[in-house]
Parts: sequence; C-alpha cells; structure tokens
Amino acid sequence: MSLLELKDVTKVYNDYVAVENFNFSVTDGELRCLLGPNGAGKTTCIDLITGRQRLTSGAILFAGDDICRLPEQSIARLGIGRKFQVPAIFKELTVEDNLEVAFSRKKDPFANMMTLHRSYGQNRSDEIVELVGLKDRLSSQAGLLSHGETQWLEIGMVLIQDPRLLLMDEPTAGMTEQETMKTSEIFNSLKGSHTLVVVEHDMSFVREIADIITVMHMGTMLAEGTLEEIGNDPRVKEVYLGSEGLG
Amino acid sequence: MNGNIYHNRKAQWAIYLAAFAALALLPIFFDSPFTLNLLARYCVFALLAVSVSLVWGYAGILSLGQAIAFGLAAYGMAMTMQMQYQDPVSDPIPSFMLTNELKTLPLVWAPFWSTPIGLILTFGVPTVFFIGFGILMFQARVAGVFVAIMTLAMTAAWYSMAYDMQPFTAGFNGISPPLPFQIFGTEVDPYSAGAYWVCVAFLAVLTLGAKFLMQTKFGLIVQAIRDDAERARFLGYNVAYYQVVVFALSGFLAASAGFCWVLIVQYVSPTSLEIVFSISIVIWAAVGGRTSLLGAIIGAFLVNGMQSFVGDELQQVWMLILGAIFIGVVLFLPRGLAGFFELVLGLFSGRREPQKSDWSTRRTSAVTKESAE
Repeated sequence: MSLLELKDVTKVYNDYVAVENFNFSVTDGELRCLLGPNGAGKTTCIDLITGRQRLTSGAILFAGDDICRLPEQSIARLGIGRKFQVPAIFKELTVEDNLEVAFSRKKDPFANMMTLHRSYGQNRSDEIVELVGLKDRLSSQAGLLSHGETQWLEIGMVLIQDPRLLLMDEPTAGMTEQETMKTSEIFNSLKGSHTLVVVEHDMSFVREIADIITVMHMGTMLAEGTLEEIGNDPRVKEVYLGSEGLG
Repeated sequence: MNGNIYHNRKAQWAIYLAAFAALALLPIFFDSPFTLNLLARYCVFALLAVSVSLVWGYAGILSLGQAIAFGLAAYGMAMTMQMQYQDPVSDPIPSFMLTNELKTLPLVWAPFWSTPIGLILTFGVPTVFFIGFGILMFQARVAGVFVAIMTLAMTAAWYSMAYDMQPFTAGFNGISPPLPFQIFGTEVDPYSAGAYWVCVAFLAVLTLGAKFLMQTKFGLIVQAIRDDAERARFLGYNVAYYQVVVFALSGFLAASAGFCWVLIVQYVSPTSLEIVFSISIVIWAAVGGRTSLLGAIIGAFLVNGMQSFVGDELQQVWMLILGAIFIGVVLFLPRGLAGFFELVLGLFSGRREPQKSDWSTRRTSAVTKESAE
C-alpha cells in the first residue's frame, strides 16, 4: 500500500500554475528522489504535503487519510517530518536542546510546564546523534555550527521525531564534496527502515542513493523510473540534463 | 560554553535567591519611609522589566503593550480602593463623578464595592485581555516588528480611552483614593516596610516562577519558537498556542506590577497607560539584558535609580538620556549587562572551544582539494 499519495494535485498562485495534475505515490520503506529544474514545483509539492501551502484542487492521502485540510502541526504529528531547503534550526539553543525540542512527544504547553527532565539520552536519540555525527557538538550553540553540521542537525531533528515519512528538501545544498558523501552514507543507512522523499539537484548524490526517481518539469510529472531509465529518457535529457545526460 | 558558570543552573538559582534575600533585607538599612517607598517603586518597575524579559527575551515577542496590563490593573486597584472609601448609604458616588454630573454609580464601577471581586478584576481583566489580544495576533501569525506596532497602537487606544472617559476615570486628573488599601482589617501604609515587602514578595515569587517555567520543557519550546517559529510548527507544535500562553503570563506579571503600584502610590492616571512608559520598560529590560530575568531587574533598578539621582535640572532631558543609553546598549552590549557578565565569566572559565565558521571550513576543504589535484 502506498504511504503517501498525491492525486491530480494542482496549485495555482494568482495566474501562475506551479503544480498541475500531479500524481505521485510513495510506498512504505521506499527512498524516492524528486528531481527537476528550478521552478519545476518540487518544493511546492513538499509545501502542499506538509500544509504550508493549500491545494487549489486534488487530494493528498497519507496512510489512506485525506490530510490536505489539516493545519501544519497536525500533519507533523501524524508522522510527516520535513527538512527545509534553507536549513532551519534553533540558532540560540544548544545542539542537544535542538534535538530535545524535536524529540518531545508532548506538544501541549501546559503538559510541558510540568516536565523538567530531559528525554535526551533515551531510546533513539543516541543512535541518531551517532548517525549524524554530532556527538562532540552536543553542548555547542547551534548557530555556531558549520553549514554541513547545520544540515546534519536538521536531518537529525527530523529523524528523532521518528516520522513515518521524511521529506528532505535539498539536504546537500551548499555542502562540500566530503560532506555530501557523508550525507549519502546517512541516507543509505536509512533505506528500508524509513520512507523518504528527497528533493535534490546534485546528480552525484542522487546516483549514490536513488532507487526510483520522479522527474518534474513545469509543475507536471515528466518521467518516473530507475536511474537508468531516467538517464535514457530523451525528454528528461532535453529539459533537464541537457546533452550531457546522466554521464 | 561548557565550563561557563553563567550557564550553571545551581549557580543561577543561588544568585537569584541571594538577590531577593538582599532586597528583602534592605529595610534594615534604609528606614526612611521616603526611601522605602522609592525602593518599592523600583521593585514594581523591575517586575515590569521581568514581564518584558519573559515575552521579548525568551519568546521573541517585542511587546510595547505591557503598559496596558499595568494600567488596567492599576485602574482596577484604584477603583477597589476608592470604593473601600465610599459608603453605600451616605456617600455612594466618588466625588469626581459628581463634578462630572453623574447621578448614579456607573455599571463598571459597581462590582468594586466588593474588595475580593475588585481584586479578581484587577488581576483578571488585564490577563484575559492579553489572552484575547494574543489569540487575535498570533492566530493570524503576526510576528516581529508588526507585533510591536499592534501592541503600540493598542496602548495608545487604551490611553485615549482612560483620558477621554472623564466621568468614569476622572480623565487626566486620575483617581486618588483618599485612604490606603485595607485588607483583613488592616491598613497597608504605602510608606511602610510592609508595603515594600509586599512588592518584593510579588517580584520574587513571580520572577522565580517565571525562571522555573523557562527551565521546563515549556520554556525550551518557547525559546525554540523565538528562534524559528516555522521549524517548531513543522515539528508538531501549535506555535500560536504557546505564544498566547507566554503573552498572557507576561500580561499577568505586568498586571501584578500595576496592583503593587497603586498599593504604594495610592494614585492612578492615564500616564500609566502611556506609550513612552511602555517603551521605557523595554529599555530597562534591554539595558539589563533581556534574556536574563535577573538582568532585567538590575536594568530597571539601575535606570530608574539613575533617573532619581541625576537631579532636577536633567529631568527635562531625561528621555534624551534614556534614548542615548538605549542606543549605547544596542550598539555595544546587544545582550545587555547580563550578556556582558556571561562574556566575562566565559573568559574566566577558559574553555572556549574554537569555532570554525562556515567559511573557514569550506576554504580549508577547497585548499585540500586543490592541493590534492
């Protein structure tokens, strides 16, 4: 069964059509790459799924339920985690506190007034800190992290929520080659146990991690298939990859 | 950062408790009623600064409307005290109403015949108003400078209301209850050590309560929302709910200050709802350090102490001096005196880890790449 399903999704801003009759589905445990040139509607799709933008028409089903009318925090609580394109972390807090905020299962302010103990150090958190490699940085202020570490912290924050679906908007943007390599290791280790949708530009990264790739162009689906199929698709070559192909 | 004692919670609590103990012991050294009353006023201002530190420093909501809660509570308290003086049979209507040709007691004044109801309204009305105003703003996701503008406009609206509705509020003249506040059969003399201790008690209990709250997970989430509301929202937090709660708490703190104020000055006028006053509170908190509750208290004492002692000839230009102080703090001590303390203590702890910036990391990796090629 598909965990996430977008049915004939359309989003129109004034008279600009950002996404048009887009159909997309992700099954449990899959790692899907969403590819496309600038303005293809990738981030808009993520915004629509997470409730940041509202659909013009169509439907979005998560585990069979329609979610397109729910507020952002309710969608997040259903188990959809999101990493932003520009890394979003709590700059004034320590790395540990950033993870703590993400980890908390209680969302009610009054329930949280009664909570003094920190849940950090329990359950999954150790693993995740290890995975994203921030063990030595736990007490650093998050605003002082390097760009790559900031990206990893946000990935860690999304992971620590233990969501059923992870939406990663350009997780390697601005990373050095080594940092990108490390990120692809992180993603490969998540394969199978997590369901991921990764929006990405960096072809070398996509090559490292992708199972199935969906290519968007001008708000519509252009092609879908394995790395090889996409690489040989003449339409994809034309609009996105130029004459170079996937190399 | 690890070794800095500034961040040690036990040390923080020790300092807070020591500070309030010292405040409570001051009447031993200053027995002049005038000095005690002045110190009590500083405590009230300090409580206002704490309310700003909570809402601005911790929650990132720059409220220029703290005077609303302060003023509403001050009017509530003054009305309670005024009605304690009036007699239901022989003298049921305050004299300023008679001079404004009111023949009967207005409906809004009637509940204040009862002191308990008057006190409930004194604390309740401002807090409920802050809840409603907060819901209005934060549901609509008003943030940043627009919160400042909205709260400022609201302050101005309340000011003109208090000013214009002369038959109900005595307008510009304000309400001066003839007798001090009576409770449990005793009179609270505004110039007594008792009144001073009431103010210190309110300041201490509410500040420690706020400090505790900011150390719970609620406080952590409030600070997270300050840093990035969108991120918090997509982690599943109802951001507006948290903001309304912390805004209402700060309103309650400011209302408590309004209550104490009338208790020790026995007077209220529209000046307690003034925009200039509201902005001054923000400056006290900024000078002391808005991210520290104790810093805000110190800021309020310092700035107001300075104003008391600069002498009469400089009172005319006090707003200029205050403005200059504010600009100086913003330029040279963006985190106020508390931030300066943090820095100094950090130097002593000597465990400042070298922080590589984004740029230096990228440069080094670029260089290694080049040399590898």
